[in-house]
Amino acid sequence: MSTRFRRPEPGPPAPVRFPSIVRHTLDNGLAVWTIPYGALPVATTTLVIGRGTAEDPPDRHGLASLTGDLLDEGAGRLDAIELADAFARAGTHLNIDTGPDATTLSCAGLSRVLDRILDLMADVVIRPRLGEEDFERVRELRINRLRQLSRSAGSMADRAWVTAVFRDHPYGHGAMGTTAALSAMSVDDARTHWQRHLAPSVATLIVVGDVQPDDVTTAAERAFGAWSVTPDEPVAAPASTAPDARILLVDRPGAAQSELRVGHAAPPRSTPLYHSLVVANAVLGGQFTSRINQRLREEMGITYGAHTSFDFRRLAGSFSCDTSVQTDATADAVREILAQFDAIRGAAVDADELDAARASLTRGYVRNFETAGQISRAAVQLVTYDLPDDTFDRFVPVVGSVTSDDVQRAAREVIDPAKATVVVVGNAEDCRASLEQIGRPIEAVTPEF
Amino acid sequence: MLSIPYTHTRLSNGLDVIVHEDHRMPLAAVNVWYHVGSKNEQRGRTGLAHLFEHLMFEGSAHQRDGYFGPLQQAGASLNGSTSTDRTNYWELVPIGALDLALWMEADRMGWLLPALSQERLDNQRSVVLNERRQSYENRPYGLATFTLMAAIFPPDHPYHWPTIGEPADLEAATLDDVRAFFQRYYHPGNASLVIAGDVETDDVLRRVEELYGDIPAGEPVGRMAPAVPPPAPRRMVMEDRVELPRLYLAWPTPQLFADGDAALDLVADLLGNGRTSRLYSRLIHDRRIAVELAAGQTSREIASTFQIVATAAPGRTLDELEDAIHDEIARFADEGPSEGEVERGRAQAETAFVYRVQALGGFGGKADQLNAYQTYLGVPDWFQSDLDRYLHATRDDLRLTCGAWLARDRATTLAVVPHGTAAGALRDAELVERGRA
Repeated sequence: MSTRFRRPEPGPPAPVRFPSIVRHTLDNGLAVWTIPYGALPVATTTLVIGRGTAEDPPDRHGLASLTGDLLDEGAGRLDAIELADAFARAGTHLNIDTGPDATTLSCAGLSRVLDRILDLMADVVIRPRLGEEDFERVRELRINRLRQLSRSAGSMADRAWVTAVFRDHPYGHGAMGTTAALSAMSVDDARTHWQRHLAPSVATLIVVGDVQPDDVTTAAERAFGAWSVTPDEPVAAPASTAPDARILLVDRPGAAQSELRVGHAAPPRSTPLYHSLVVANAVLGGQFTSRINQRLREEMGITYGAHTSFDFRRLAGSFSCDTSVQTDATADAVREILAQFDAIRGAAVDADELDAARASLTRGYVRNFETAGQISRAAVQLVTYDLPDDTFDRFVPVVGSVTSDDVQRAAREVIDPAKATVVVVGNAEDCRASLEQIGRPIEAVTPEF
Repeated sequence: MLSIPYTHTRLSNGLDVIVHEDHRMPLAAVNVWYHVGSKNEQRGRTGLAHLFEHLMFEGSAHQRDGYFGPLQQAGASLNGSTSTDRTNYWELVPIGALDLALWMEADRMGWLLPALSQERLDNQRSVVLNERRQSYENRPYGLATFTLMAAIFPPDHPYHWPTIGEPADLEAATLDDVRAFFQRYYHPGNASLVIAGDVETDDVLRRVEELYGDIPAGEPVGRMAPAVPPPAPRRMVMEDRVELPRLYLAWPTPQLFADGDAALDLVADLLGNGRTSRLYSRLIHDRRIAVELAAGQTSREIASTFQIVATAAPGRTLDELEDAIHDEIARFADEGPSEGEVERGRAQAETAFVYRVQALGGFGGKADQLNAYQTYLGVPDWFQSDLDRYLHATRDDLRLTCGAWLARDRATTLAVVPHGTAAGALRDAELVERGRA
């Protein structure tokens, strides 16, 4: 074969240099991070408040997220529509996301409107109206949204799985809560959540783009200086929850496929096994070429795709395989996934496979730091999980040094088919008999929405 | 002034090559567009363009065991997609893997067929049928768009059938069909290649000539003329596994980049997108008769569609929603937008365009956009002209365009309702099967 048809080898990986963060702390405790970056006149602004859905009281699931949604339903002198219009006239809009560990307000705008965006954002977080009527309206929309989600196979599977895996742990419920919990709330609950948790001392303002640190600090001081709230203590991490190795079968008559979730709890983001687990996941199911997708999609042809992932959070993590498979292959898919979980514990990953996994994680890692939005999201991780500034710079060398032994040791400690909860959302009549052959207890469940 | 500098070269076999240098990051984007989509298919043979896209990742003569392995190990992210109009493939790579990405794209452009087998076809056919189940059949409201498109575009119009294809057609596709499709549409004269990133133009062009220059030219593929169909004011109702009844209104509208296309984009935003929009503030915020709302102009090469989708609040009827929506459209067509609304649209367009030129690669990155403008207009750097379409739209433009295209008696109307509730769900509507018209 001539060299013309010989596949070229890739060159060495490009190093990652995360841009430097210029820090300042306001008197009220708000941390201000400025990250000058890029060549375009943009400023991506993010306010991360380190309290999220984990703070939902046990009888108020959905409160943090509902409060987050309510923040921009009128603030300061502007009602809900006027506020949205003010952001829109600045050429942007406000996103509010309530995750398990943090409430995040973000705006992608041009740098010339940064002051305006900070002023509006400050109104939203410091002077939200949290009005009775807006509360009623937003709650009604959420309850209707839950009705819609109760028909989505993916949402049904996610709910059934997270409830079984985490139970009464602060992570054991969906962000949107349930209709019953939402119905029991009043606007005072939202006001209380806002007063107790959305405080400057647990918040960080991150501005990335064509900006000067001094300008950002001055503008932040002016906009957020008056924010004065002392927060309650955050929720504590309880002892680990017992695994639930049943098959939970959610009947969806007439379903065209079975939606699957297979997995269990895992360590938090702070685990020393982090890099080994990232490599293990890449081998097992993190990528197109990983074992599980190769088997289920490329060899068996029973799905459009199957992947595994770790969700590393502050108090705990989880590990799962998510896929949707044709109904007549449901039990085969479950058996195959469990077998793959077992295989990565049972045998050392061979050198080629390990090299491939490490290379795919490290060689292109620099791709994750191209835009202001990417830099912002990375900085949010540093804040949320209290990680050192060199976290991203170290990723390539550390992953590069993970060995086959490291992977197997981490997999043995964390990944375990015997602990995995299996959720199947599909046509029960068609797949129950074959699922029974797997030899795990099967329980019919209906996730609560 | 928004400008993306580039050089454009055409190889002797007809391949358009566009290079854009951006040395900010040690990255390169490789992006290939083939000017073929589901609109080039025939009735009874639908789904071929998309099925073919899957096969392009399975292997080629000199890279037999798949495209994901070597590229992912080189640090690439990669993907492809098929629309009614075109099929695209891209890699975003650390600069050291640019040569690999160029080589891989060349091998499947020139030497795909020797690696194609019945087994591969059967496997990917099965994957695509599962994709169809997952993305459409198993999703609440997932087949509504198929019904709308089938109703708006007559059976012989190239947009009548869905890009993912009819299951029976996919089952019937043969290896010969797939080979013929490749020979007809996958050749340099029907493709365009963009390389963007940390590259030296002369070096890249030299390498491209080496890798792509000897791929044989194919039979030219003619452009399809615009074919915006006359309105199809049908009224349909479909039952599905859903909780709340939903109303779809759709109109045939001017094709991508034609007069009225950008104005309709802006009309969609002002009417139905986000809290500041008229329909949101009236229907969801004030009257609380709807719980979800979206509007959009889906711009495509030979005809577009404008859609408004609204989900009724419990206890509210779709007839009530329908009247309220048409009232707002009529008011817009009558009075036009305020100056404030137009300014808001301009501010948002300007921000969106600046953000659109941040990323080199991926869907919607700079390389993909250069290729889109090249494929549809023959002008790669059309960014500022595109933005100007939005900045220069006046109140009158929006008012008149709305009036000309979005009249009540031109709308195709579809209700998607829970099982057992079709009767009386929408006045004067005919019952249709899921996904059919």
